[in-house]
Amino acid sequence: MRNSILSMTVVAVAIAASSGFAVARDQIKIVGSSTVFPFTTAVAEKFGQTGDKTPVVESTGTGGGMKLFCQGVGEGTPDFTNASRAIKEKELKTCMDNGVTPIQIKVGFDGIVLANSKSGKPLELTKAQIFLALAKEVPGADGKLIANPNKMWSDIDALLPNAKIEVLGPPPTSGTRDAFVELAMEGGAKKFESLAAMRKADKKAFKKVAHAMREDGAFIEAGENDNLIVQKLEANPNAFGIFGFSFLDQNADKLQGARIDGEFPTFEKIAAGDYGVSRSLFIYAKKEHVGVIPGMEEFIIEYTSDNAWGPDGYLADKGLIPLPDAERESQAKDARSLKPVSM
Amino acid sequence: MTDANPSFESADQITDRHTDGDARTRLRRRYAAEFRFKIMGAAAVAVAALFLVGLLSTIVGQAIPAFRANFLQLSVDLSPGNIDPADAKRADYDKIVRTALLAMFPHVTSRQERRAVRGLVSTGSGNLLRRAVASDASILGGTLEYSVPVDDFVDLYLKGLLAERSQYAQLDSTATPSATNGSASLTLDGPALYQLVRSSGHGQTSEDGSIRLTSGEPSYLLEINGGVAKLQEISAEVASVDIYRPLQSAVASGGMQVRVIEAPEAERKISDREIVWIDRLKDDGLIQNHWNTIFFSGGASREPELAGIWGAVVGSTLTMLVTLVLSFPVGVSAAIYLEEFAPKNRWTRLIEVNINNLAAVPSIVFGLLGLAVFLNWFALPRSAPLVGGMVLALMTLPTIIIASRAAIRAVPPSIREAALGIGASKVQTVFHHVLPLAMPGILTGTIIGMAQALGETAPLLMIGMVAFIVDIPGGFTDAATVLPVQVFMWADFPEPGFQQKTAAAILILLGFLVMMNALAVFLRKRFERRW
Amino acid sequence: MLYLVLAIIALAIAAFFVGQHRAMSIVDGAVSQLHSRPGQHGLFLALVSAGPALLALLAWGGFGPSIETALIKSQFAAELSELSIPQVEAFVRDARAIAFGGIVAFSDATKEAAAKAYQAVHSTGTIAVAILAVLIAITGFVFGYRRITAPFRARHIVERAVKWFLILCSLIAILTTLGIVLSLVFESIRFFQKVPVFSFLFGIHWSPQSAFEGAGAEASSVNALAFGAVPLFAGTFLITVLAMLVAAPIGLMSAIYLSDYASSRVRAVAKPMLEILAGVPTVVYGFFAALTVAPFFRRLGDGFGLDVASESALAAGIVMGIMIIPFVSSLSDDVINSVPQSLRDGSYALGATKSETIRRVILPAALPGIVSALMLAISRAIGETMIVVMAAGLAANLTINPLEAVTTVTVQIVTLLVGDQEFDSAKTLAAFALGLVLFCVTLAMNVAALRVVQKYREQYD
Repeated sequence: MRNSILSMTVVAVAIAASSGFAVARDQIKIVGSSTVFPFTTAVAEKFGQTGDKTPVVESTGTGGGMKLFCQGVGEGTPDFTNASRAIKEKELKTCMDNGVTPIQIKVGFDGIVLANSKSGKPLELTKAQIFLALAKEVPGADGKLIANPNKMWSDIDALLPNAKIEVLGPPPTSGTRDAFVELAMEGGAKKFESLAAMRKADKKAFKKVAHAMREDGAFIEAGENDNLIVQKLEANPNAFGIFGFSFLDQNADKLQGARIDGEFPTFEKIAAGDYGVSRSLFIYAKKEHVGVIPGMEEFIIEYTSDNAWGPDGYLADKGLIPLPDAERESQAKDARSLKPVSM
Repeated sequence: MTDANPSFESADQITDRHTDGDARTRLRRRYAAEFRFKIMGAAAVAVAALFLVGLLSTIVGQAIPAFRANFLQLSVDLSPGNIDPADAKRADYDKIVRTALLAMFPHVTSRQERRAVRGLVSTGSGNLLRRAVASDASILGGTLEYSVPVDDFVDLYLKGLLAERSQYAQLDSTATPSATNGSASLTLDGPALYQLVRSSGHGQTSEDGSIRLTSGEPSYLLEINGGVAKLQEISAEVASVDIYRPLQSAVASGGMQVRVIEAPEAERKISDREIVWIDRLKDDGLIQNHWNTIFFSGGASREPELAGIWGAVVGSTLTMLVTLVLSFPVGVSAAIYLEEFAPKNRWTRLIEVNINNLAAVPSIVFGLLGLAVFLNWFALPRSAPLVGGMVLALMTLPTIIIASRAAIRAVPPSIREAALGIGASKVQTVFHHVLPLAMPGILTGTIIGMAQALGETAPLLMIGMVAFIVDIPGGFTDAATVLPVQVFMWADFPEPGFQQKTAAAILILLGFLVMMNALAVFLRKRFERRW
Repeated sequence: MLYLVLAIIALAIAAFFVGQHRAMSIVDGAVSQLHSRPGQHGLFLALVSAGPALLALLAWGGFGPSIETALIKSQFAAELSELSIPQVEAFVRDARAIAFGGIVAFSDATKEAAAKAYQAVHSTGTIAVAILAVLIAITGFVFGYRRITAPFRARHIVERAVKWFLILCSLIAILTTLGIVLSLVFESIRFFQKVPVFSFLFGIHWSPQSAFEGAGAEASSVNALAFGAVPLFAGTFLITVLAMLVAAPIGLMSAIYLSDYASSRVRAVAKPMLEILAGVPTVVYGFFAALTVAPFFRRLGDGFGLDVASESALAAGIVMGIMIIPFVSSLSDDVINSVPQSLRDGSYALGATKSETIRRVILPAALPGIVSALMLAISRAIGETMIVVMAAGLAANLTINPLEAVTTVTVQIVTLLVGDQEFDSAKTLAAFALGLVLFCVTLAMNVAALRVVQKYREQYD
């Protein structure tokens, strides 16, 4: 009894002491998108090797990251957030209201690919065909919307393989999905006269149609774990997966990307902007923390150095598709001079 | 349950409803049912065992390659010309490694090839060298034989996981090369090679009968005059090749060896050129395969060959310490109170029901609790072992309380009565007599609870422990991750090298769990008393 | 600070011996004349002298730094008035770092001054608290020392203190539940202000992505119809049923076999084996389900010409079943073993075979326990997260076909909270509402399980 009481007291005091004297933060904290996560972690690791403390990078998703980032300033809030899309106006407003000035750095592109196992048949699609394959409702013969009747790829176009449409894709909460829907599905929907007319008349209704993925089993929401999708594709040669280019790049021995609008998803094509389904990736830095949290500026410099994000940099090895030279230069200049984001 | 007596078997005996033919059929049926039932039971156990074996063998099979790694021995020049001994930290170690590496490939000149050579070793090699110098400055000043980890794809190739490591086969033919390096043509004096390619059906045959091998076709590597060349196009008399490893002479060869790699070059993450280089290094004894120390001592990394589990192990240890320190005393005290002191009234009933419920509340709900209370309300740091430990402590508390109560209840009343009888107070009885006797049971329950907490992932997802943390955590408020979360994260990384790491991390996690459970079993066996 | 704590603990230990000695010397070693044992007097003295002092130190440990900081801030109010919040924080942090060691990011004259002030305040504060703590300790010691007499009831006081501590510990369980309920309820209420309870619980359409009219920046109004959780409940139900179809027969039969048939050698192997199965972390099962079991079923299905989704409920359900087997078997084992031997003997005496005894006598007798074990297993399956996160899909299909992909409540909680969702939207709040539902359902299952045991259990002893 004596021992237990004493030991408990010691423990209680020790815990109270350690939490009371919270150590000052001397380490960069980064949150945000799981798509940018592999790149930012690579930079963080390099950055840590030069002697500074390695930043902690958390994968919270773009939205979750923005929420934490815009919560306010101070040690309890992250210094950077990764985003697989640009900051939204609403988010920027929240940020500003809380005294946060984000610095936007566009770090590169990520192509979104439709790929299947090498043991399956290669596919060549147009965006309109993607829409016909995956949309919940498609225009029927008379232009009216009907529930998607296409079961086989060959139902869409006789030239396509006679195989069941089965596409594994990211969940609605993922940035990859947002981008796919915006670039591929909307792009495809626009090709239909009736929908193009609708777009002019009622943008909201158009988006609703273009963004609705079918729910009858041909499109399967497969979770955010892109790696698992890759393995599932290997197991099932007829299935296609939607994911970021870096996964195709890393698994080039197992997977082949489908040609979209005549272009293969390759490093060069995406960098040149020829491949239609690609998006920009961003990181946002908190201006208020520059000069406060040690290493902020150095981290920005590391990220925007050609050794990192250049065409021959280590981020390219990780699958990031670099910006064109001129844009890289202007982005680096803006970032290093801490120019706040403007809308 | 008794066998039918043989003397009753003849038909003219007096029949009895317990012994007649019907009865025997009935009995047989009952015994058959008995047998079936027993088999079903045994089958159930067997199925469970099968599941376990399947699970473990899958993981062990995947994990084993990760425990060893390949290292390349380099002669790095640490002379003062490269490193200023006064300021060793600032030297360009990447360059030193690069120079040492390129020195091994004097024939490599083009920029692209140099890049490929650089890619043979891990990008973290320079940093490892820097740390080696920092820890022991006496190695400075001369040339040092230093082993660096090879790139993850090279490692996978050497382990036979990327392309088969087929052997060279002697070919019954000779050839005369036109050059010793670069692109060359071979004048063949026999059709053996041509026939080999032709019969395999690889490549595109043109009208004049020559065959072209593209990168989408299997690769043919020729060893000739001490060098290695890759076959590009072949006709019956002449073959054009790319030489990846310079030939020693351009005279007619005494013989030729050929190796076919079935997986086309375009479909592997490792090129034929790299394969030739690696094989040479391996043959020269410069690549050694040894125990993967980096995996056991390093923190997280984006490069599979540099990724280690130690950061997660330390994180798990810190988290478990917090959990143990919080949940053990509180859990045991609560159990003592409820079992020994609590009056049987509505309040204690409420507490009891509560604890039983908490034991079955899904773990993810505890994560929501941690998110709402510890992070948002108390503003404790994200990703910290302190918070993780607190959430897990709340989660294990019911397990410990329930196990402790069972152990205390198992102490026979006679012990208490005897103690009370000689004038001990209630508190004395409990602390001096009941608790020591119940301790083995309590410890067993605690260890099992801790083992559960160690393997728990879901609640930690909610409180920011899914993070990339390179530095080994040094305290309870440092950012850290734990073993199961590391498993979850590695399963998500795109580099194929991480798959083995994931399985290896699982194996280590299981190792800890087995150890803890073995300890619990030992305690139970050694100290358990029956009354 | 640490030394002070150690000193007071040393004082407590000293007080213990002093008290013990004092009690002994009062009665000249005739211990039987004391009301309480000398050790209890010692403990009493240790408690009254060290307890309040430690509490005071604890309070200072918790509030001290913020008090110090507030003092410094008021002292340097003029300099700080123009700075923004993070700059002030940085100021305080750097000043502290200069004063007490640590990594100093940026230093200037004001900070140096502040650091000096910090040191001054800190040392004054520490000395003051130290003196206060020592005073309290000495007062307590003197007070306690004088209380020690032969008839003094030290034991009662010590034991009461112990008892209060024990009560406090058992209240933590209640606090935890309260914490869970409160943290879930507040967020859920905010959710239900946007989405009516009825359309959440009974709506059959779950697609939070289409919850907003328009996309991206224009997202504004919430479409309550997109938050119908029925498909999630159905998916959870389907996977749970599959899991129980695996776990219930195998678990129950193994329990029966191990308790009534198996030789002790088999038991010695099989029991630890089941325990290992129980100890495997769920993330490992998830890995196994996603990479081994799901592709296996897919190929198997192809062989039979069946169409199995890669994320089929079947794979997740079966692996979850494997996970629950040991849970069912160990609980049932306990229940079966608790049926008294006399019942078995009676049945054998009537000529029943072993299986007949088990089926006709033991199982009916153990039924309440088994039912409650199964209910606990179900609630476990409902709340399981990692397996379904890794192996089940996210498609909110309303189906009972186990070959299709379904999603579960726990998967949605994880994706809604960790995904790329827009913040502060109904989606984030929906996670808490789902958590609340999950909590309530498992609670109901557990209470029901408890009730079954209480109501139908037969007492044999």
